[in-house]
Amino acid sequence: MSTPRKYAVRNLRLCTKDCICLFVCPYGATDTENSVIDVDKCVGCGACAEACPSGAIYMVPATYPPQQKKQDSVLEAMGELSRAKADEEQIARQIAAETGEEGLARLMKAAVKSLRLVHEDVMRESGYMLPQSANAQALLARIADGEGASAQTAKELLDLIPCNEP
Amino acid sequence: MKAVCQLCGYVYDDEKESVPFAELPDDWTCPCCGAPKEFFEIEGSPEEAAEPVADAQDEAIRIATDAEGDVMAGLSAGQVAALCGNLARGCEKQNLPRESALFAQLAESFTAQVEPIDGADIHGLADLLMGDAGRYAAARNAAKAAGDRGSLRALTWGERITNMLSYLVGRYLKDGEAFLKDTEVWVCAACGFIYVGDEAPELCPVCKVPAWKFEKMEVKAS
Repeated sequence: MSTPRKYAVRNLRLCTKDCICLFVCPYGATDTENSVIDVDKCVGCGACAEACPSGAIYMVPATYPPQQKKQDSVLEAMGELSRAKADEEQIARQIAAETGEEGLARLMKAAVKSLRLVHEDVMRESGYMLPQSANAQALLARIADGEGASAQTAKELLDLIPCNEP
Repeated sequence: MKAVCQLCGYVYDDEKESVPFAELPDDWTCPCCGAPKEFFEIEGSPEEAAEPVADAQDEAIRIATDAEGDVMAGLSAGQVAALCGNLARGCEKQNLPRESALFAQLAESFTAQVEPIDGADIHGLADLLMGDAGRYAAARNAAKAAGDRGSLRALTWGERITNMLSYLVGRYLKDGEAFLKDTEVWVCAACGFIYVGDEAPELCPVCKVPAWKFEKMEVKAS
């Protein structure tokens, strides 16, 4: 069987357990105990997504188009922000760990979380939108070149995720 | 007269309210996002001049600069951690749970490798956050010039979230523990917006996700 171009994904938050997907799937890809559709069995026909009364099933492509290119001037400015966010997060983390004040500890815990999310968003718009991008693959290759557990994890990811850019 | 919250876009319309905006007390806050009165701008008033770009030398903690100017090289552990965190979320959205977990593992491991910062305190954090105004202005200009709408979106959200954090840190410096006594601190798990109040807002004022996406910050009693 050839690799499907698309496969079905269920949003559990929307699923109202009408179970029509079980009736329409010719391959039994939807009958898992944890409600996650079995990607190995799904052939991407879309029958479940079409039949689902709660709109909880949608189709995602197996391969993604290359991400938008970024200009160097934008990357440079985003880099400045990224460095600041990294320092801010670390300072907040240290304050949260060291303070004896309950309120400050909660505020700094919030700051660590908030700054990380903002920083991640900066990274997403700095040429790292897709894990399949050449940038992400180059990053993984650099980590894989190192030693220890992280290098091993990066190698595993390189095996799992194909690059979608020349 | 209409006053518009620069953080969430809430409009205070004098014609629909019993108290004119100008007569509201100084401790009045935005009913939508909790921003203070000074975050409001009168509609139609000329835009404030761009804030001056902060001089990095003046900041309490100098940010390490990338000597090579190569955006791919010279990333710090904290930056790689955020990068991997972002890719973990990307994998999660693509329904790649195994890949997402591996990226999350990398993010955690790089977070643990971040060098401690000497003399880290809340004043240093407040200064750095203030300096972000200049960094956001510069990035916004670059994104505008490049016609980069994706970056502009991220910068708009990020700046609002940073402004709120900066304000909350300032409030804490002024009022201390009394500021957060008997109330909760919430973080939007989607965008990072911080809200101080008894209940999470119905919708995130920045990214519009519902209340259940907010996480309450709790610490173990010492």
